[in-house]
Amino acid sequence: MGNNKMENEPQARSDNYLWDGSGEPDPEIQTLEALLGSFRHERPAPVFPEIVPDRRWTIRPWRLRLFPVLVTTAAVVAIAVATFLVYGRKPTPAAVAGWNVSRVAGVPRIGPTAISEKKGTSRLGVGQILETDHQSRASLQADDVGQIEVEPNTRLRLLTMAAGLKRIALDRGTIHTYIWAPAGQFVVDTPSAMTVDLGCAYTLQVDDSGAGLVRTSMGWVGFKLNGHESFIPAGAACATKPKVGPGTPYFEDASSEFRAALARFDFEDGTPPQRAGDLAIVLGESRKHDALTLWHLLARVDEGQRVLVYDRLREFAPPPASVSKEGILRLEQPMLDLWWNALGFDDISVWRHWERSWSGAVTPVHEK
Amino acid sequence: MASRSGERVNLLAAGWGRRCVREQSAPEFAEDAILVSAARDGDRAAFGRLYDRYARMVHGVLLAKAPACEAEDLVQEVFLLALRRLSTLRETGSFGAWLAVIARNLANDYHRRSVPEDRLEDDTSESEIKQGNVRGDHQSPAAILDAVKSLPDAYKETLILRLVEGMTGPEIAARTGLTHGSVRVNLHRGMQQLRAKLSPNASKDRPEKERSEKERPEQAAPLS
Repeated sequence: MGNNKMENEPQARSDNYLWDGSGEPDPEIQTLEALLGSFRHERPAPVFPEIVPDRRWTIRPWRLRLFPVLVTTAAVVAIAVATFLVYGRKPTPAAVAGWNVSRVAGVPRIGPTAISEKKGTSRLGVGQILETDHQSRASLQADDVGQIEVEPNTRLRLLTMAAGLKRIALDRGTIHTYIWAPAGQFVVDTPSAMTVDLGCAYTLQVDDSGAGLVRTSMGWVGFKLNGHESFIPAGAACATKPKVGPGTPYFEDASSEFRAALARFDFEDGTPPQRAGDLAIVLGESRKHDALTLWHLLARVDEGQRVLVYDRLREFAPPPASVSKEGILRLEQPMLDLWWNALGFDDISVWRHWERSWSGAVTPVHEK
Repeated sequence: MASRSGERVNLLAAGWGRRCVREQSAPEFAEDAILVSAARDGDRAAFGRLYDRYARMVHGVLLAKAPACEAEDLVQEVFLLALRRLSTLRETGSFGAWLAVIARNLANDYHRRSVPEDRLEDDTSESEIKQGNVRGDHQSPAAILDAVKSLPDAYKETLILRLVEGMTGPEIAARTGLTHGSVRVNLHRGMQQLRAKLSPNASKDRPEKERSEKERPEQAAPLS
């Protein structure tokens, strides 16, 4: 352990310098900084055009004089609106809450209505369906939620647009999401898992069989179904299958042997020896940052195999002092969570808080 | 307005809410909220201060996707767009993350407008790279930038903010809305991959079978 610590010291110093410039400078990084510094932003702020202020109500004499007129007008309008609502056509869901939809290519459709090149934009309301054919693409935007790029051959439905929960269902196809709503508020249902945004950007694909794949490019994403949960940080991916739920997440630069064995372990109905063989490949091929995969495997392997996963994970990332081997082998959630936080991917309390807040309110639509 | 800010600070205290909020210090968060509010009220100087605070981040995000020679102009486009849409931003504390999304979208739009679809690979400093190649100079700034830009999105953006814009990890987290953990992982793993790409033996050392189809577009432009 002592030797190991000494071996790791230069790496730690280098990491500190890369992180915040502290510690002993790393000559290689300094060289890169010096060379790449020539591309640095230098242009001063331009003269910005005049900003039209938000119209806010302030008491001014002329407004006071107009007050009776305004009240009368408002009353007339209110009566007219109420009459329309009671006797007239009911408003479509799209008029209440939804996403603005822009056509990017081809002719995307909201229900039977095409968004033609001439029309350009439309609105997707709660309960409505957006579909793209093989040559159509669309872009959805909601100011306080984020943006979704919709690829060809995609079908999605807007389920909820409530204050604390925005929820869509992706039946098939591919979407790229960039979400700036608070973590845990944007949820995508797929036929085989529920995806919860815990970060900024990810791509979600669902094929015709209902199998899905999430690839995170920034922040992190939670995948959940049937008690299985997976956390996918930037650079990682996770597959999901109908009736099985989310598989084990992995970094996309893992070896092909590692990924193939993991896929078999997650989704194929192998015999115990076959599963043990696949697990052995995963453990043998794993690298330090595959701690992501190993942590998830702790809860997915048989009891007898758990100690193997524990030992391998401990080699890469020793558990915090307050985490015991027995606790992990018993799958005590607080200890698993503490170890996860020590891996440096992200703070799992965000997810736990979300689970508590939304327990029951956000049940995966396909969960039974 | 005050109650809105108060609510967000409570979320911050609870460790809940968007990560950009959690990673931003409370005074900085409050200052952003004040600047955004002032800018909405027509205060151009306040918007100028937001520019000073976020321009490097925006430039880095753009540089990760768009040609270097266009990045400065695109920075101004991003801020002009943000200025026009400022009234639609409800969570004033999310200004940085919101701005980063505008920048990414603009960079994507730039590609859609100007690059034929069959040639989406980066052309940032193509002429400079070619010059570098002619000289056999694998360590020219343009060639190194090209290698950084061939990394996966998450790594290249974070590394550019660190190595080009000179921002520290905590600054990157505060400006982009990522957590410290994500930024640290992106920097560490991005740097590992960059070292591998810049190593003179990189392409020889890697067996062909290890290079998947997916990885190939991410390789640095051939420098020989």
